Amino acid sequence: MTIGATTSERTAAVERSGFLSKRRVWIVLVRVAFVGGFFLLWEIASQRWIDAFLISSPSRILTSMIAGFRSGELIQHCWVTLQEIAIGFPAGVILGIGLGYAFGRSRLLAEVFEPIIIALNGIPRTALAPLFIVWLGIGIWSKVGVVFLLTFFLNFFNTYAGMRQLDQEYVDLARLMGARGWKLTFRVILPAISPYVFTGIRTSIPFAVIGAIVGEFVAATEGVGFFIRQAAGLFRTADVFVGIIVLMLMVIAIDKVAELIERRALRWQSTSEHVRIQG
Amino acid sequence: MEPTGHGARSRDELVIRIEGVTKAFQTPDRGRLTTLDNISLNVPYGQFITIVGPSGCGKSTLLKLIAGLTPTSGGRILYQGAEVRDLNTKVGYVPQESKLFPWLTLEENVAFGLDSKRYSREERERQLKYFIALAGLAGFENYYPSQLSGGMSKRASIIRALAYEPPVILMDEPFGPLDAQTRMVLQDELLKIWEQKRQTILFVTHDLVEAVALADRVVVMTHRPAHIMDVIDVPMKRPRNIFAIHRQEGFDEAYTRLWDIFRHELHIKTQ
Repeated sequence: MTIGATTSERTAAVERSGFLSKRRVWIVLVRVAFVGGFFLLWEIASQRWIDAFLISSPSRILTSMIAGFRSGELIQHCWVTLQEIAIGFPAGVILGIGLGYAFGRSRLLAEVFEPIIIALNGIPRTALAPLFIVWLGIGIWSKVGVVFLLTFFLNFFNTYAGMRQLDQEYVDLARLMGARGWKLTFRVILPAISPYVFTGIRTSIPFAVIGAIVGEFVAATEGVGFFIRQAAGLFRTADVFVGIIVLMLMVIAIDKVAELIERRALRWQSTSEHVRIQG
Repeated sequence: MEPTGHGARSRDELVIRIEGVTKAFQTPDRGRLTTLDNISLNVPYGQFITIVGPSGCGKSTLLKLIAGLTPTSGGRILYQGAEVRDLNTKVGYVPQESKLFPWLTLEENVAFGLDSKRYSREERERQLKYFIALAGLAGFENYYPSQLSGGMSKRASIIRALAYEPPVILMDEPFGPLDAQTRMVLQDELLKIWEQKRQTILFVTHDLVEAVALADRVVVMTHRPAHIMDVIDVPMKRPRNIFAIHRQEGFDEAYTRLWDIFRHELHIKTQ
């Protein structure tokens, strides 16, 4: 009595794949040409039109970067900044998601504390960095604090937004099928809001790095932020750019890791194609 | 746990008793909107009951009350003799849209209700295999809902509710948004699946043909505030042939009675 799925259903169910490889090659080529052209223009500009003292040049930056890494100085600064992020960022993510989830679960909690959280969010948090230095000292913990603050709110708001968008029917169904406690949270609610959660995590990555750098700008003896400020103070423009590029790479690297995790966690989502608005 | 084979039970033993149930909602302008008005209904084990009525009359609300998802405003509902006060985890629910959990594979969806405390690993496997094959979904176990067609999702949604063997399945217009052909195929499959175990089914629909074709009894509800206007017995034999339902003995009689009721309700005059 089994009724087999029809062929059309099978075809419909097969994943859409087969991207246009020729097109992909073109996209990469154009991209490389664009970036390469920019650096070339920069190099020429530094020799002919603008004083290299102000804008440095790609070749100078590369030389400085190699020298920095060779001497181990830059690695040490990166290590310090990474440590600050490695502690403050996960803490902010986890507590942000946790509180956002709790707000979504408890109406009372949300009603009482929502205005307070919004008020706190109104504080320009980087302005708190000097205070954190006073409280937590000149070492890494004051920067961890700033990273945490910047990360926390973004994750909190995104998770809470997800909780408010949560489809009641999924929860009802799961509960009717006997899901409670752990199973309801980790098998239903968190997966249901995970697109929001990941948006929170990924938008907060650059802010975590900003937090660390701002903290290091205010007062520090090590870290990439310190390195940049020191270089600027000595008018070593190339080193300033080295610091900026290192930070950019840091953000990209962390984001890649997050993207990888997101891809795995959200592999159930249908691959969204580019929305076509005209024809 | 509840026994699931109903062979030992007499045909008339009741699984649900709805006694004078009323449901009212608060409207945004602080008024009261009564959707269900003094509803009483007895549901014996193993019956296939369809509930028809105009849209928005509170058919779905009645199912929600039985599932304990929302409290009654008056009266009471007895489920296996006990009053429903809280979530009723002894019913299966098939919502209007399939509502498979999109983050779980088809197999994980169907397995969701198979509690490890109730089902051993082997039983679980057996149960999954049986129902997935029954719904013609073998080979698609590891597909995510976004990769399934509408009909496949619907079938998966139905076997998800059946797999953990609740004595009663509540179905809220499950075939509503489907095209006519898919609809008939699924009605046919639903009846075939149902013939295997004969669970009690409460099936909400606004399609009169569907209501008669599937049911042992058709419950007719009125406009808001809804009450039960009539309960029609469908004298058709089983197993039924959905694709030739009009020619089956008893269909005309039940359908004509049903249509008469609606005609009066809608004030349609016949020539």
